[in-house]
Amino acid sequence: MTHALTSERVEVAADGEALYELSLEGGWGDGVPILAATDERILAMLAATPLATDHVIGALPPQYGVATVELVAVNAVMAGCQPAAFPHVLASLEAILTPEWNAFGLTTTTSSVFPMLIVNGPSRDDLQIDYRAGCMGGAGGRGSMTIGRALALCLRNIGGQRAGETSRCVFGQPARFGMCFGEWEERSPWPSLARRRGFRPEQDVVTAHGGKGTFPLADINNDDPHDLLHLIAKSLAFPLSNLYLGGTGENGEVVLAINPIWSDRFAAVFPAVESLQEYLWDHAWQPIDLWPAGNQEILRSNGRVDDDGRVSLVRRPDQIVPIVCGGLGSLHAIALPSFGESQMQSAATVTAAPS
Amino acid sequence: MTSRSTIAIRLPTTRPPATEGAPAFTVDAPIAGKVVGLRTDLAWRSWKLIAREWAESIHLAGATTLEIETVAQVGKEGHDDRAAVNAWSEKVDFGIVGLGTCGSCTSFSVYDAVALEDHEKPSLVVVCSEFETHARNMARFIGHPNLKVLVLPYPLEARPAGELLEIAEEYYPQALELLGVQA
Repeated sequence: MTHALTSERVEVAADGEALYELSLEGGWGDGVPILAATDERILAMLAATPLATDHVIGALPPQYGVATVELVAVNAVMAGCQPAAFPHVLASLEAILTPEWNAFGLTTTTSSVFPMLIVNGPSRDDLQIDYRAGCMGGAGGRGSMTIGRALALCLRNIGGQRAGETSRCVFGQPARFGMCFGEWEERSPWPSLARRRGFRPEQDVVTAHGGKGTFPLADINNDDPHDLLHLIAKSLAFPLSNLYLGGTGENGEVVLAINPIWSDRFAAVFPAVESLQEYLWDHAWQPIDLWPAGNQEILRSNGRVDDDGRVSLVRRPDQIVPIVCGGLGSLHAIALPSFGESQMQSAATVTAAPS
Repeated sequence: MTSRSTIAIRLPTTRPPATEGAPAFTVDAPIAGKVVGLRTDLAWRSWKLIAREWAESIHLAGATTLEIETVAQVGKEGHDDRAAVNAWSEKVDFGIVGLGTCGSCTSFSVYDAVALEDHEKPSLVVVCSEFETHARNMARFIGHPNLKVLVLPYPLEARPAGELLEIAEEYYPQALELLGVQA
């Protein structure tokens, strides 16, 4: 396929620092040095997808800039993506542009929420997508660091998302630089997230979760899997969760990343992931009298309090989403709390046929 | 002395599609006899109180109100809300939509206010001052740059009810004026 590039072309001094300065001055960088989006690099990126250069992935909120494959490729080059990772960037865009992900709301909210990308599939290792020690930050795999960054740059440069301007985020979060990690499928006693969402094992799949941050959980004092899961569930149901704010608890998922040592312990008593989710859901509630009177009144009027005075975090067990990843040091889990008004979305990659 | 060589790069940005902007509508008539839509959402108690106060004033002026409360942005509840806003837009003569006092609730207030304009009905979105620019931006981004915006003080939450009622009284005439209601 031949590609005629149409995005705006400028000349810049051929040293990295000048490009970096230009990106800062132009407001199209993310504060960290970028790679030069030369035609050669863009064309290499475009060769990794069967989609036409001018194919429109969608209009990205908040400004509804049109994301053509070419513009996405420019941003992916800047982020440092390998061409082989470009289909993952495109899949991540497809996922967040699904209306139920609510990019319209999430790109403009005061919340820190941002797309957190969870990757399944056979390309995970080749692309250096981190799924073991330090997978949510620090491991430094090229795929992890650049796929999420490419998506963040697309939101900035095509969608026009700018903190304090079009985005009303109060704090933001480190993941707004880009967050992408894999599931340690080989160590998971349960079907992978992608399998549970209807994809085949040979497919590379990106799942976008509207996550508010990384919420750490730790324990060294408990040997009983039921008791430990009880404590995890209670921790997920922290009283100032977005899921207790104004809504009914019908929307949004909480991702629970479990380390492989703990997942083995949990699978011994919950061999089916659905039974694990059911148990977590059954304990992810707080007593209404935990909240002060004003909050109690609102939770009651929103129909959130059951006959036993329990306020469940979410309406259904499937809204608590366990995945397996992280190092073998055990002791820890990470929750990725939900924005609430967003539903997790997945998309499979589409790659170019080998030439 | 060395010469500085250059390279050509592509820029990663795009401009939003240019639109003329959808028309905005005004009432251009007295309020008596009209059906006035009031949209609140589940989240903002302050706005519910102000809207309730305005509903009383509207009734005293000889008009009726049709009130709707939205709950969600996505999922079945979100779909139901948007369908209800559309049906509501058909039934009212004009409408007032609030409250924009967070990022996504401002975006969705603008979105629901635009539903009225799509039905060629006068529409007013109510936001707090911190979110005025955001509301105007979002209206522009979705093709309705002329959407009328009423700006209330910020923040409204955590104010005593008495203060909120004073704000309701103070800003009610401005709301009617922006909508083009004649005395």
